[in-house]
Amino acid sequence: MKSLPKLLQLVLTIALIYVGFIVVFDYVLGQVIPASLLNMYMFFVVAGALAVFTFTEEGARELAAPLKALVEDPGKKSLRNIVFAAVLVAVAVFAYFRAVPSLEAPVELRTIHPAPPSSAKLYGKRYDLLTLENPYRHFEKEDPEQFNELVAEGSAIYIRNCQYCHGDKLDGKGPYAQGLNPVPLNFQDVGTIAQLQESYLFWRIATGGPGLPKEAAPWNSSMPIWQNFLSEEEIWKVILFLYDYTGQRPRSWEE
Amino acid sequence: MTLLLGVGFAGSSVAAPGDTENGEQIYYKRCLACHGEDGDGLGPAAERLNPPPRDFSSGQYKIMSTAFDEMVPQDDDIFRMIAEGMPGTAMPGWSDILSQQEMWDLVAYIKVFAGYDEEEPGPLVDYGTQVASSPESIARGDELFHESDRCSECHGESGKGDAIKGLKDDNGERTWPRNLTKPWTFRGSNSPKDIYARVSAGIPGTQMPSFADPDSTKVLTIEDRWHVANYVESLAAGTERVNPDNTVIKAGRAEGGIPTSWDDPAWGSAPASTFMLVPQIIAKQRHFTPSNDTVTVRAVYDDEQIAILVEWDDRTRSIPGDEKAEKISNPDISEDSVAIQLPIEIPEGMEKPYFGMGDASHPVNIWQWKSGTAETSSSVHLMNGQGFEDIEQREADSIQVAATGAYNNGTWRVVFTRPLVTTETDKDIQFQEGVFIPIAFAAWDGSASEAGSQHTMTTWYWLSLQSSSGSRPFFIALLAALLVAGLLYFWVRSARPQ
Ligand code: HEC
Ligand code: HEC
Repeated sequence: MKSLPKLLQLVLTIALIYVGFIVVFDYVLGQVIPASLLNMYMFFVVAGALAVFTFTEEGARELAAPLKALVEDPGKKSLRNIVFAAVLVAVAVFAYFRAVPSLEAPVELRTIHPAPPSSAKLYGKRYDLLTLENPYRHFEKEDPEQFNELVAEGSAIYIRNCQYCHGDKLDGKGPYAQGLNPVPLNFQDVGTIAQLQESYLFWRIATGGPGLPKEAAPWNSSMPIWQNFLSEEEIWKVILFLYDYTGQRPRSWEE
Repeated sequence: MTLLLGVGFAGSSVAAPGDTENGEQIYYKRCLACHGEDGDGLGPAAERLNPPPRDFSSGQYKIMSTAFDEMVPQDDDIFRMIAEGMPGTAMPGWSDILSQQEMWDLVAYIKVFAGYDEEEPGPLVDYGTQVASSPESIARGDELFHESDRCSECHGESGKGDAIKGLKDDNGERTWPRNLTKPWTFRGSNSPKDIYARVSAGIPGTQMPSFADPDSTKVLTIEDRWHVANYVESLAAGTERVNPDNTVIKAGRAEGGIPTSWDDPAWGSAPASTFMLVPQIIAKQRHFTPSNDTVTVRAVYDDEQIAILVEWDDRTRSIPGDEKAEKISNPDISEDSVAIQLPIEIPEGMEKPYFGMGDASHPVNIWQWKSGTAETSSSVHLMNGQGFEDIEQREADSIQVAATGAYNNGTWRVVFTRPLVTTETDKDIQFQEGVFIPIAFAAWDGSASEAGSQHTMTTWYWLSLQSSSGSRPFFIALLAALLVAGLLYFWVRSARPQ
C-alpha cells in the first residue's frame, strides 16, 4: 500500500467499498440494492474516506500533490488536456442523464416481519401476544395421534384457502404468486416461520395485510384478513400444519 | 439401480422401478389434500379448483403419448407431469423438492388406483417423420386448422379459444378450450412435438378429440398433424407477455389529439405493459376459478385529456338476454366488464391507498366499463371507494369519464378517456406530468360466473405521463460542461507561474 500514491489509494478504497456493497447485497443477500440507497451509502463512504485521508496536513498535501503537479507542471500539458477533456465529457453525460426524466418505478422498501404489538384485538377480544400459546401444541408430546389428526385438519384448511398464493409446497410460489407485490412468503425458507413464534403467526394471519404497521406497507399486501373467514381454532390448526409440513420449529421464549 | 434410473429419465421405455410403499408415504404427505385418500380427486380443495384434481381411479390421463384408442399412459408421461406440473392448474411441479426416485415411487403408487400396475402401457403415438417448421408448413397448418372449422370450432378463428360451443368434460365439469396464443397455459408444452401428441391422442376426459382417429370426419394424416402443430406453435409469436420488470405504463404525449377508439393508429407507437390478473380471494364473495390471466395496457395524453387502452382476451362475448351468448355461458350470464383504479390524491411518499378499493383515509377513483345487454348498450360507471364495503356511486358524465369498447376474435379492447383535471379536486384524481401514479385493473368475464366481487384483478402498478423533455436535457448538459470548463480554465490560469 505504502508505495501507491495517496490519490490512487483513495480512489481504490472507495471503488472497493462500492463493489463490496453490490456483491454483498446482490449476491450474498440476494436482493438488488436500490440505487437511492447505494447513493446515500456512497456519500458517507466518500466523505469518511476523505476525512481519514486528509486527517493530517501532510496527508492532505500528499493527496493533492499529483493534482497540483498536473495543473502546474508545464511538462504535463498534453496529459492535462486529456484529463480535463475527459472530466468535461463525464460532467456533460452525467448532467444529461440527470435531466432526462426517470422511467424507473420508485423503489419501495418495506419491513417483512415488523415488530408485533404486545397485545392485539382479535375476534373482538384482547390477546396478550407475549403469553399467547397454540392451544394444540401440547398434543405433540401428549397424544401424537390426536396431534396428527389436527395437522391433517390444518392441511385441509391450508389447501382450501392458502395454496393459491403460498403454494401447495409452501414455497411461496402458488399459482397466483407472480401477480402479487409483495410476493407471498416462502415458509420453507429458514428465515420465515422458523424465526417467529406461533403467537406472532396467529396475529399476522388473523389481521392480514391491512393489520400491518405502516413500515410494512399494508396498502400493498394481498394477505387477506383471515379472522373474517376462519375461526380461531382453524388458524391454530393451520399453524400446526405449516410447521409440520416444512419441518421447522416455532421459536419460543425459552430459547 | 442408479443406471436404470438414468435410463428411465432419459425418456426410454425402460421404466425405473418404483417402490409403491414408499410412494404411498410420499403421497400421503404431499398429494392427499388434492387427489384424495382413494385417489379419487375428492380432496378438500376439489370444489374450489377448476380443473379439479385428477381422479386416478378413473384411469384417465390427460397429457399422454399413448396412441388415441388406448387408455394406459406411458410411465414417462406420468413422471413428467409429476416432475414438471401442469401449468395453468393447481398441479405444481415437484422436481424441486422430491428426488427422481421419490417421483418414480409415486408413479408406481398412483398406477395402482386404476389397476395400471398390472397392465402394459399402450402403444406410443406414431410420430412418423417430423416436419420442420417453415412458412409453407405453417400456412398449410393454418388451412387445416380452419378447414370445415376443424379446430376453430372450439379454439376460435384466431386460436384464442373464443368458442362457438359450450363444452363440458366427461364428469360434467365446465371446460374451456385452450387459448392457443398463450403457451404458458399449456398443460404439456407448445413445442410442435407436444402439440402433435395432443392432436394425435386427444386430451382424454375432455372434448379435445383425437385427429388420428380414422373414424373421425376431420382425421388428419401424420404429415398434416405436423403442419397443424407448427401452425399452433406459431400462434404464440404476437402475444404480449408479462414482463416482471415492466411495472410502468408510459403515457406519451399525443400529437394532434388523443385517440378515442381502439383502432386509432396512434396506439401503434404507445408502448404496451402487460400485467397478471389474479382472482379476487381477499374479500367476500371470493372467486376461485378465474377466467382471464393477463391484461395489456397503453396510454397517451395531450394538453387536455388522457386516454387509456385496456385489452384482454375473453373467450366469450357475454350478452345477457342474447340466446346464442347464453347457450355457451355458465348459468346466470352477466355483462363483461373492466375497471381502472386510481388514487384520488397522487401519493408523494410510499404510502398508497389499500389496493383493494382504497381505505378510509386514502380514497380511490374507479372507472368501470360494462359491455351491455341485448336491450341496453354499453355503460360507464364512476365510483369512489374507501374499502370493499364503502363505495359511493357517482355520475360518470359529471367529470366526463368516457369509454368505448369493441370485441374482436376473442379480445376485448376498451378505451377510457378523461380530462386531465376536474373541478372537484378533492373527489377526483388530477393527472400530472412526470410523477408516478399508482394504477390497478379489474376484469369480469360474465360467461364464466364473474360478477360483483367475483372477478380478476391486478395489484398496484404505475402510470407515468412522460413530459416530452425536448432539448432541455441537452442544454443542461452543455451548460454544466461550460461551467466546469470555466472553473478548470481559471484553476490552470491561477496556478500558472507568473
Ligand atoms: C393443489 C392441489 C394438488 C396437489 C397438492 C397435487 N396435485 Fe396433482 N393435480 C392437480 C390438479 C388440479 C390436476 C388436474 C389438472 C388438469 O386436469 O388439467 C392434477 C393432475 C395430476 C396428474 C395427472 C396428469 C395427467 O396427465 O392427467 C398426476 C399424475 C398428478 N396430478 C400427480 C400428483 C402427485 C404425485 C402429487 C403429489 C406429489 C400431486 N399430484 C399433488 C392438483 C394437485
Ligand atoms: C370439440 C372441441 C375441440 C376441437 C375441435 C379441438 N380442440 Fe383442442 N382443446 C379443446 C379443449 C376443451 C381443450 C382443453 C382441455 C383441457 O381442459 O385440458 C383443448 C386443448 C388443446 C391444446 C392444449 C394442449 C395442452 O398441452 O394444454 C391444444 C394444443 C389443442 N387443443 C390443439 C387443437 C388443435 C390443433 C385442434 C384441431 C386439429 C383442436 N385442438 C381441436 C377442445 C377442442
